Amino acid sequence: MAGYILRRLLIMPLLLIGVTLLIFVMLSALTPYERASLYVQDIPKRQGAIEAVIEKYGLDEPIHVQYINWMFGRRDADTGMIEGGVLRGDLGWSKVGKSSVAEVLGRRLPATLELALWAAIPMLGIGIWLGVLAAVRHNTASDQVLRVASIIAWSIPTFVFGLIMLMIFYAKLDWFPPERLSEWALREVQSDSFHAITRMYTIDSLLNMRMDIFADSLRHLVLPVLTLALLNWAFMLRVTRSSMLETMRHDYVRQARAKGLHERKVIWRHAVPNGLIPVITVGGLVLIGLLNGVVITETVFNWPGMGSFMADAALSLDVISVLGVTLFSGMILIFGNLLVDVLYGVVDPRVRLR
Amino acid sequence: MTTQTNTSSTTWTLKPPVTRTRDHPAMQSLRKLLRNPTAVAGLILLAAFLVIAVAAPLIAPPAANARDPYIIPRDGFSSTPQAPSAEHPFGTTEGQYDIFYGVVWGTRTAFRIGLVITLLTTLIGITIGALSGYHGRWVDEGLMRFTEIFQAFPFLLAAITLTAVLQTVYGRGEAGPLMIAAKGLALLTFGHNPAKPLDPVQLQILTGMMAIILFGWMGYARVIRGNVLSIKEHEYTMAARVVGVSDRRILSRHLLPNAIFPVLVIASMNIGSYVLTFAALSFLGLGAQRGYADWGQMISFARNWVPSLAQHWHIVVIPGLAIVLFVLAWNLVGDALRDILDPRLRGTGGGL
Repeated sequence: MAGYILRRLLIMPLLLIGVTLLIFVMLSALTPYERASLYVQDIPKRQGAIEAVIEKYGLDEPIHVQYINWMFGRRDADTGMIEGGVLRGDLGWSKVGKSSVAEVLGRRLPATLELALWAAIPMLGIGIWLGVLAAVRHNTASDQVLRVASIIAWSIPTFVFGLIMLMIFYAKLDWFPPERLSEWALREVQSDSFHAITRMYTIDSLLNMRMDIFADSLRHLVLPVLTLALLNWAFMLRVTRSSMLETMRHDYVRQARAKGLHERKVIWRHAVPNGLIPVITVGGLVLIGLLNGVVITETVFNWPGMGSFMADAALSLDVISVLGVTLFSGMILIFGNLLVDVLYGVVDPRVRLR
Repeated sequence: MTTQTNTSSTTWTLKPPVTRTRDHPAMQSLRKLLRNPTAVAGLILLAAFLVIAVAAPLIAPPAANARDPYIIPRDGFSSTPQAPSAEHPFGTTEGQYDIFYGVVWGTRTAFRIGLVITLLTTLIGITIGALSGYHGRWVDEGLMRFTEIFQAFPFLLAAITLTAVLQTVYGRGEAGPLMIAAKGLALLTFGHNPAKPLDPVQLQILTGMMAIILFGWMGYARVIRGNVLSIKEHEYTMAARVVGVSDRRILSRHLLPNAIFPVLVIASMNIGSYVLTFAALSFLGLGAQRGYADWGQMISFARNWVPSLAQHWHIVVIPGLAIVLFVLAWNLVGDALRDILDPRLRGTGGGL
């Protein structure tokens, strides 16, 4: 087991260097003038000021020196302090967010995390359940219906689905509004008497014993959660179905049937636990789906998270912010995939021996 | 391939195997495809879209003085969308762009974007995958790590990022390799004359396409590599090598034709996902420009009308339906093709 994890860990630095290099290559497509805004809040209008910034941060030095500066930070000639450096958490200055990119990410991450966590419930629950159902009823009418339904779900753009949800359940029925909280609840949450612990409102409101705020935040979560879950739902269904079909062909399933177990028990106690093991391997792809999904979902629902920040920044061509978010998401994905690999090894001993 | 007639010759040549008595495999696949009801539904939808795309100038004739038929004509400048009427069968969006015209001409945009992106991603993927699988060892190791780096980013986020970077770079309007690349893509996509300067409206679309292409080839590379690796061990490849056939010839005549079927399947399924991704870029304001006949761009107007969408339903539902049906058509055909051509891929998701 240790060897298996070690092998995975050894690939990591290589991947991290590659990912940062790719981001840096995109960054170097900008001129030193454009990149000067990476370090300064407002480019001073004074003549020669930009040149001073370029000089100070070495934006005209050879490209490999710049990469190292960008990664590890650069010693300031005057103060002797090390400044900047992606590895030290400095992703540059965000024009759109009007603060450092790292700060904006920290501020906006809880909203995205809350959305993604809630979306995982229907996505995994319904996706896996329907996938098992399709496999059990292989080649029957319900299998075919689910097949077509998942292809249809796969073909709907996230923003069209989200807007139609808003059209029906907000504009028409006024049940589930966009944004994260109603105005009154937002005021409450920002007041001093409310303790912000996780800054995920569903959790904080429970910790503060405020059931009214909890209800309000749930009401705002319904539509974005459904929208975010839609795409991945179809994906989970198909993966679970094919993996379950594989499992149900095994001898031990036939054995369980032969000894007279109830069909439900055969499926849920004997086939499903093994059938779901390969489903873990698509965990990384699900994570990709969520990260892609939040950009569109948050934009449609005015959700103040990482994704809508990304969309806003891209629209104003704030390249520094966009690169920062993408680098951050790449890191999430690399570590997420590592976790998936390790988890797979823990759950399925056969993998470790390979 | 047709059945070879044996002509007697005095010199020794390697005769191709003459074992074929049944139909060509492509015909068999086609027959199976036509027996599958969901695939037939997909094919009918595709045919309908093709007719609309080809006949666009007849269905929605552009104004006589229009400079570019892909710019949707406007009926006034009022911001409030108009409901469907006799004059505007699908109504108008914010800014009075005619939705019927946009949906019809948007069909052409969708085909162009989907097909060009698919063509170029498969070409890149096949090249990298084939090199990697055939040469093996350090070439394989290097190319696969390279592929992994591109896969380390969420696809849409990477595409958005690269679009923003490219738009900044192209905004400077400098000549150079990037400009040549853009002109090549413009020629392929719009039939744009490379001698003339690029149209900024088209350039913005091209940046989105480039971003999708550069982050969309990895699935093909992996599949081709895997297939080449397995076919390399077959006897006929060995035999070719023994009789002294060159590397390049083995790769192009023996390995690729046999490795390429699954790529066609993935490509047909991916066209839909590329169109979806480009629509998402347009929706965010990074793809086609305001007023261009592009479905995603038309829907982006709806963001300003969320509270009154019940009244202005047509600004989302009509262009939205066009995207869903177009992507659905490709996905239905792709799904059936996968079942027919490559049973091993059955049950997996899309290529991305």
